[in-house]
Amino acid sequence: MREITYLQGIQEGLREVLKTDPTSVIYGQDVGAFGGAFKVTEGLQAEFGEARVFDTPISESAMLGAAIGMATQGMRPIVEMQFADFITTAMHQLLNNAGTRHYRTGDAVPMVVRVPSGGGTGGGPFHSEELETYFCHMPGVKVVYPAFPSDARSLLLSAAQDPNPVVFMENKTLYRSVKERVGDDLTALPLGKASVRHEGDDAVVITYGAMVHEALRAVSELHVTEGYEVMVVDLRSLKPYDLDTILAATAATSRVLVVSEGWRTCGYAAEIATAINESAFHLLDAPVHRLTAPDVPVPFAKSLEDRYRPAAADIVKALRDLIEL
Amino acid sequence: MKLLRLMIQARRVDERLIKICRQGRLRGSAFAGIGQEAISAAVAVASQPDDLFAPCIRNLPLHLGRGETPLGVFRQALGRAKSPTGGRDGNVHYGRLDHGVYTMISHLGSMISVVAGGVMAKRRQGKDTVGVAFVGDGATSTGDFHEALNFAAVFDIPLLVIIENNHYAYSTPTSHQYRCHRLADRAVGYGIDGYSADGNNPAEIYITVRDILNDIRANPRPALLEADTMRMRGHGEHDDFKYVPETLLQVYRRRDPIRMGIRGMQAAKLITDDQIEAMELEIADEIDRSARQALSEEEPLADTLTQGVYRDA
Ligand SMILES: Cc1ncc(C[n+]2csc(CCOP(=O)(O)OP(=O)(O)O)c2C)c(N)n1
Ligand SMILES: [Mg+2]
Repeated sequence: MREITYLQGIQEGLREVLKTDPTSVIYGQDVGAFGGAFKVTEGLQAEFGEARVFDTPISESAMLGAAIGMATQGMRPIVEMQFADFITTAMHQLLNNAGTRHYRTGDAVPMVVRVPSGGGTGGGPFHSEELETYFCHMPGVKVVYPAFPSDARSLLLSAAQDPNPVVFMENKTLYRSVKERVGDDLTALPLGKASVRHEGDDAVVITYGAMVHEALRAVSELHVTEGYEVMVVDLRSLKPYDLDTILAATAATSRVLVVSEGWRTCGYAAEIATAINESAFHLLDAPVHRLTAPDVPVPFAKSLEDRYRPAAADIVKALRDLIEL
Repeated sequence: MKLLRLMIQARRVDERLIKICRQGRLRGSAFAGIGQEAISAAVAVASQPDDLFAPCIRNLPLHLGRGETPLGVFRQALGRAKSPTGGRDGNVHYGRLDHGVYTMISHLGSMISVVAGGVMAKRRQGKDTVGVAFVGDGATSTGDFHEALNFAAVFDIPLLVIIENNHYAYSTPTSHQYRCHRLADRAVGYGIDGYSADGNNPAEIYITVRDILNDIRANPRPALLEADTMRMRGHGEHDDFKYVPETLLQVYRRRDPIRMGIRGMQAAKLITDDQIEAMELEIADEIDRSARQALSEEEPLADTLTQGVYRDA
């Protein structure tokens, strides 16, 4: 066993794909010799050569279009967006071109798009966005969002084995802050499987990405202060998502808080809340609550961003409201 | 001869589609490439089996030349279960990867980078593939046109981007589309070669395309070709194209690519009137049978609506 960071988890996943799948390539802006804006691909070009790991012009649409072309001709492209925010200049390639292709033609489009996501870094409105709702709304596209190093590694392998376009979201605040002891066993994790990170029966927090860690901090605080036992479900895959685990958690706790770093209106949290209402309304002791970012652009100043972004203290408060309702 | 046959076959398929559309038997509209047949036919004839293509709205001869049948085209337009897209998409949004032909999406310019990536993959597999992407004068104003050409140039991808300049993008004349003198001149900005040709002269466009493809096949890098032509009907059949001056249509009517092709071949004694007539009869017969069959076929079952969004792992 050795300790690795979230970033290393992603990197080990990438290295494993390059090693085991000769049709795979990694490209994006500054991902080659430089190793990427966050150094996720550091060393990979030196190890695998310029044909397998290479820099592209700043052309998000051409990058994704080319990925569709490669994927349909026997290759497995893994494309890095420098920041999630910039994929908006190429949304049509994902939604319309990649996402509709199998349905219309029957052709497989095995490609992975890595999107460094989320705020909390003082990145301001254009280097902090959390866009899972957009991706999850696209027919034909799958979305994963690991919160732990081992999951990052395994989900990268599964994303790179899937015959569909997969958006691999990775959270920038977790890159170096989250560490985990892992073995060398590299196995792919099936998509669509959540993980219960903390057991409890007073309530459940259903969340993903960086908010998993905020939730874990919140539930241990609540345990110390009030003695509550709160379950934490880490969704890991956002589309498809693990409805069975969500419903089992609902049945076990009867009180559900969905937490998301994304925007509120029509956001991903609304989807989970609705799914629970449709299938498990009779099991609830309280309405499903949502804790999300407000519907405002991601602000720059720390005072504003701290208020903007859900954190452990907000989750503690929301859970108290929910449990004591 | 093959080129002429493709042009005539495409023209007759388009004419039949227009008829079916007028009869109200087609959902949406029909989008004809009448007047522009020489360009795609030339590409089809000059291409090799491993080549890849991104056809756009007015490239029926390319589809036919790469192995699609009139039956497949009618099925597609009619949304039949047996259409190339199984009725999930319509009109000109079809293609078959085993023919090297990508199924377009509507977003103008977005398919150029797809072929670029496809050609990159084929080249890595040791094939001597070249790609050809078609766009109109209007599509040259998209960001995707720029991104893809620059991308292809940086990676020396053997990709020919053909601009079919038919003077209009829907109702918008080229004067409202760009300010440059010739679109082919934009090649300079990408560090690649730009060419202009008469897209209504089958011999000229064929030789031009053939030479460019030979060149970039041997010396991988992209190229830009602007072919002058004219859309002889509306944008689609719903469009009366009153915005096109009759005088302009007159000019291009005299320069109809099929007539120019026939005249050229007759002058060189490569074809007789009897041969033309026989060709027309044979084409008409296949089109008639295909149209009737497609019209008689079923649409996909509604119960299949949600199938096949994802590929099973
Ligand atoms: C990005 C985008 N914007 C708008 C449209 C709607 N549209 C479809 S065809 C067309 C005109 C295309 O003109 P041009 O590129 O010159 O091709 P032509 O029809 O003349 O062959 C327009 C505006 C579209 N398909 N894609
Ligand atoms: Mg035009």
